[in-house]
Amino acid sequence: MTPQTTRTALVVGSGDPADSVGVGLVAAGWSLLRLGDDLINDDTVAAAFPTLEHLDLVVHARYPPLCRQRMELTDLTAEQWHAACDEPLEAGIRLARAAYEPLRAAGGTIVYLVPLMASAGGDGFAPFAGAAEGLRVLAKSLAKTWGTDDIRVHAITLDPSAFLAPTDAAGMAEANSLHDPPLGRVPDLSDEVSLVVDALTTNAFAALTGASLVVDGGLWMPG
Amino acid sequence: MTEHAGMSGLLEGTVAIVTGAGQGVGEGIAAALAAAGAGVVIAARRPDNGEPAAEAIRAQGGQALFCRCDVTRRADVDAAVSAALEQWGRLDLVVHNAVSPPGPPRPIQEIDDETIALQIATSTTAVFHCAQAAFDELRANGGSLILLTSPSGIEGSGHLPLYGAVKGAQRGLLKSLAREWGPHGVRVNAIAPVAWTPAMDTATAANPTLEARLLGRTPLGRIGDPTTDIGPVAVFLASELSRHMTGQTLAVDGGRYLGL
Repeated sequence: MTPQTTRTALVVGSGDPADSVGVGLVAAGWSLLRLGDDLINDDTVAAAFPTLEHLDLVVHARYPPLCRQRMELTDLTAEQWHAACDEPLEAGIRLARAAYEPLRAAGGTIVYLVPLMASAGGDGFAPFAGAAEGLRVLAKSLAKTWGTDDIRVHAITLDPSAFLAPTDAAGMAEANSLHDPPLGRVPDLSDEVSLVVDALTTNAFAALTGASLVVDGGLWMPG
Repeated sequence: MTEHAGMSGLLEGTVAIVTGAGQGVGEGIAAALAAAGAGVVIAARRPDNGEPAAEAIRAQGGQALFCRCDVTRRADVDAAVSAALEQWGRLDLVVHNAVSPPGPPRPIQEIDDETIALQIATSTTAVFHCAQAAFDELRANGGSLILLTSPSGIEGSGHLPLYGAVKGAQRGLLKSLAREWGPHGVRVNAIAPVAWTPAMDTATAANPTLEARLLGRTPLGRIGDPTTDIGPVAVFLASELSRHMTGQTLAVDGGRYLGL
């Protein structure tokens, strides 16, 4: 968490929540780099940002469209399964691998944004839930491994509406809670979720790593 | 056969497939299921340990057959289902235990693409294969699917971060499938064991302090036995005793992990 003149964040993933969180981070003063749903590996990250030497923040929210499409497992083809589960999981792991050196150089932070279905399950969203829960747990593992490198790693669970079409999101929320969000709304991605991400990079949270936060207005209260 | 009081006959007339049943936890679960009365397909990649595992069950009076099965290949998993149907005419349970060995402790930045792909293939792709191949039979019989995950899939692992990720992914899958298949009467649960296995033998041999450290963090003071400690929990999850349980992970580790 060495203070930098210009703080650089890499936000990965197409559409929301990546887009809106990126907007919020820019408003908070971050210099923003973006990758969409492109193939992620060491080479593609290096090719996209050849002069990249340090990263203060990486935000992962790369879940291609097929992840977000409601599909019964028994109806999936092998290709659909790969595209909706295995490939996004692999890409999230590869992102960590590619980001390690730039994060270490900056004493940076990596945050995985995941949907509620990751830890709660989702009818019709098994591939998405599998990939995302794998990445939520990866965040804990990375935190344990990278703590001595001064890299902090967290996961943030968001309301399904951050990832899914409104009808599907409402169904997921209904399946997981008997109440509406106590705060009366789900958080705004650019105005509220991005502030949480930003805060996790500050000295106020220097002693925190491996956290699995739920930022959904209180819709889901596990544990 | 190794039997536990009250478990004999619990699974009489049922049929199970256990992947990775040639050794370790899979072999122990297969033995326990057979002791409880189930016919068991030993679905394993290697005949040199799969055949003896099946023979050991038969020698104890149980029913078992070996079927060569690489869980990353859909055709192999289909063949295991067919073997169960041809031998016993039904399938009630699939236990997916097989996983590519995680190898020595390594940080994520030192793990190559091939290792990542193989861990994912045996952990998540294989769940897809097992679930899809068995669903019709499980639905017809009110059956269940059991996944062997790990405490690493809940709390993460600093030593084996990739293993923790794929085991975590399995928990996301099981909860989703529990929701998806509940209306069909099919239950989906998981076991997160810590037990003596060939992989554990290798790990403790490579790291002489590991066993003492592990025991020091285990309230029951010992590492589990695949057949007598882990197997009975699989029997319970497969039986009517757990008929109102789905989407759950049971940590069977002597109390080492208490974070649920």
